[in-house]
Amino acid sequence: MLDIAFAKPALPKAGGLVLLLAEEAPPTGLAATLDAAMEGGLVRALEAAGFKGRKGQSVTLWAPAPGIGKLLVLGMGKEGGAAEAEKLGGAAAAAMAGEVTAMITADGLPAAEAASVAMGAALRHYRFDRYRTTEKAEDKPKLSKLTVATTEGAAAKAAWGPMKAVVEGVFLARDLVSEPPNVLNPVEFAKRCEALSALGLEVDVLGVKEMKKLGMGALLGVAQGSINEPRLVVMRWNGLSKGKKASNPVCFIGKGVTFDTGGISIKPAGGMEDMKWDMAGAGTVAGLMAALAGRKARVDAVGLLGLVENMPGHNAQRPGDVVTSASGQTIEVINTDAEGRLVLADVIHYAIEKYDPKFMVDLATLTGAIIVALGHEHAGLFANDEELAARILAAGTAVGEACWRMPLGDAYDKQIKSDIADMKNVGGGRAGGSITAAQFIQRFVQKKPWAHLDIAGTAWSSKDAPTTPKGATAFGVRLLDRMVAEHYEG
Amino acid sequence: MLRLRAEAPAGALVLKPILEGGEPHPSGFAGRPSQVLELHPKLRWVGADGASNTPQWEAVGAACLRAAGEAPRVAIDARGLPDAVAVALGTGAMLRAWRFEALKSRRTPGPRRLSLLVDAPDRAAPLWARAKAGVEGALQARELVAEPANRLHPREFARRLKALEAEGLEVEVLKPSQLRKLGAGGLLAVGQGAAEGPRLVILRWKGRFAAPPVAFVGKGICFDTGGISIKPAAGMEKMRGDMAGAAACAGAMLALARRNSPCPAVAVLALAENATSGHAYRPGDVLTMLSGRSVEVIDTDAEGRLILADALHYAATRFKPQAILDLATLTGSVVTALGTHRAGLYGNEAALGAAVAAAGEAVGERLWPLPIGEAHRRDLDSPIADLRQCAPAGPLLPDACHAAAFLREFVGLLPWAHLDIAGVSEEAGEEGLAPRHGPTGFGARLLDTLVERHFEDPHRV
Repeated sequence: MLDIAFAKPALPKAGGLVLLLAEEAPPTGLAATLDAAMEGGLVRALEAAGFKGRKGQSVTLWAPAPGIGKLLVLGMGKEGGAAEAEKLGGAAAAAMAGEVTAMITADGLPAAEAASVAMGAALRHYRFDRYRTTEKAEDKPKLSKLTVATTEGAAAKAAWGPMKAVVEGVFLARDLVSEPPNVLNPVEFAKRCEALSALGLEVDVLGVKEMKKLGMGALLGVAQGSINEPRLVVMRWNGLSKGKKASNPVCFIGKGVTFDTGGISIKPAGGMEDMKWDMAGAGTVAGLMAALAGRKARVDAVGLLGLVENMPGHNAQRPGDVVTSASGQTIEVINTDAEGRLVLADVIHYAIEKYDPKFMVDLATLTGAIIVALGHEHAGLFANDEELAARILAAGTAVGEACWRMPLGDAYDKQIKSDIADMKNVGGGRAGGSITAAQFIQRFVQKKPWAHLDIAGTAWSSKDAPTTPKGATAFGVRLLDRMVAEHYEG
Repeated sequence: MLRLRAEAPAGALVLKPILEGGEPHPSGFAGRPSQVLELHPKLRWVGADGASNTPQWEAVGAACLRAAGEAPRVAIDARGLPDAVAVALGTGAMLRAWRFEALKSRRTPGPRRLSLLVDAPDRAAPLWARAKAGVEGALQARELVAEPANRLHPREFARRLKALEAEGLEVEVLKPSQLRKLGAGGLLAVGQGAAEGPRLVILRWKGRFAAPPVAFVGKGICFDTGGISIKPAAGMEKMRGDMAGAAACAGAMLALARRNSPCPAVAVLALAENATSGHAYRPGDVLTMLSGRSVEVIDTDAEGRLILADALHYAATRFKPQAILDLATLTGSVVTALGTHRAGLYGNEAALGAAVAAAGEAVGERLWPLPIGEAHRRDLDSPIADLRQCAPAGPLLPDACHAAAFLREFVGLLPWAHLDIAGVSEEAGEEGLAPRHGPTGFGARLLDTLVERHFEDPHRV
């Protein structure tokens, strides 16, 4: 992670400098200092470049003053706010990748927004390069330290503390999602979760024997085609009850299919490598729990991860199989590639029986249909509880992880009626595919307040975004952390 | 075809909706939906438990009709029920009784003469007359959708619309030569491969007050082969129904006329056949649309948005309507998104969207809002033209959102709603208000109700 510091505005002696300038306003603060050091050269350069401080405008100068290598001037536009501050920080980090140290001026911004600049920069600076062994040093990004220049250093630093914990949660999720599937199988995933006990999380890992005892036939059915055993990871953060017994915690449940071949209903070869991130729901929940623990959130929360690999081994489950879920409900497996809902069914049932949650949110890269419905800008939100849905939508908008509400209803539920079992795992072909998947999950929530986020379109980004480099997005970590912070910390 | 009466006519099979079982019947009949009990040859009870709103009562009315089997004369016994409930029962029954018989050489068996038994027929008559106009609009739409494409090509479709002049509508038909003069490059390109050229039909209802009209725009592809981007053979016969949007708009106009709505309204219907031929338009072609914008064709099977774009621009610029709504069987993508129980709702104004959705709920034609995101519009940037009609082929494309983003470019700043009815224009289940696999007429009653609820107060506009 980028080393972040907050300091009083003063021209740096070395490295890069990023100036954030307001729209249609003369340079003030550090910018004015630099302009003086350049004998009016900054204002002249900005005029020559037609720079007005509008959103999206930028000017780059090299060696504008002794010691300073690269100068980037970014327009702040008129909007203001945390989201814009994050984007500016992200743009700054991307542009300063070639400098070892950089300073960014936030002297015109309130302390909270100065911290948001740092957050945007840190989020954008992420890189997963564990497996690049021959990359030349000069091709690697060099930036290691970013100083945010602000007159409100103490307040900004205080605001940055919890944000940093969230960034670390995001990075954990991105790391997990980026890891190749031969490395990150369910056993390894569980091991990495256990390491989070260092943050104060209580981590339990259930193996095949325990899950058999609990009757988790749906989850185990998915896992049986792989030589890599499944795991159920339970991570508890008792930030409210501390040592005492936690009651009615909030529960987050993640789909963690560490690789999804589709099983016997095998997927087409083109693009199948993407299926390493079919565990993004579980990765997000792990990152969220790390964030809550890292910032010592005053909440009792449980994260449950259903970890399996869906392989077409000789013992793999078949279309036509009927499995008995932990809830006792039977499921006819029509398509072995609709495996995520089978995993979630058993994990959700376990969460209810064991923790009697205040509410549950599950995250899953569940259906291609949600991408056909919404594209990549929104995750699909399904919920049986209006208050929970409204809070998720609002938190998503606030942190730039947008959700779109999708419908549920009896008419859709009828589509998963089975001739031989209580339900089948797909219904009606492609028609309403993400809705029937949500209906399936709803059959296991026992009318508890519940929301389901189908993140198949948002878990991975094919291009750079202001605060998210191409690749794993960790969509959901910040959203759910924000929702907890705003509504559930006592 | 349905009469209000106080007593069942002789020989009619009486169907009585039963709300609650009361004393459990020895047969096990408890009034549950889909339960039917034959008490004697001329009386059947039909389960109606749980019915509490208009669409649910309409479903019970349809269930009564299904329970009637092949009886030619049936009477639905709504005596003792409120008039509004009786009318809903009648509405459901009349919609369910419809079948397309024009091409059968023998009449099909089943209910033909319907009676609705009410406590006071005179009292219920005005309410029924109002409902009946909507039903007739929907049935008109169904008749058009059911017609095969060799009979209902653009010229014939226009001829049938012309016949609506008898209902008090003004009807204009623009032929290919006139469309060329106007420069309707989208509609002309889509229609250029077919033997019968495209038409743009304008239906006008004057109403009783002076105000900008409400505008309906309908996609009327009489048959959709897909063109050069040809569709797979399986199921292609259903593409005779790719004009359901235009049919629904026509049905709504008929309903407004039949009930003498005070609201001025106009429908602009783009009619074409998307055929394959040596004259057909191609992927890669660049079209100059009626609005003057250039559009790169990516897929000739995404033709609906091209003809709608011209029709939307025509309606927007000629009539400056207070609101513009388009209906189209536009994308397979919306079926993947919402299945067959809801149509996709897109738009540029939340208030209009909410009103449209509420009208849909009122008549059981349910919608669900879907987004037009910035990326959806960006995906339509073209390297050669002002925009392209859809994103290049790839897996898992949000094509319904792309189509909506495309259409939005042609409505200017008018309040606009777009209903993608591809999943709901044909009845998917056994228990709907239309025979399974038959056309539903989705949209006609919705638009009629929307006008009644939101556009008939002259002081509001």
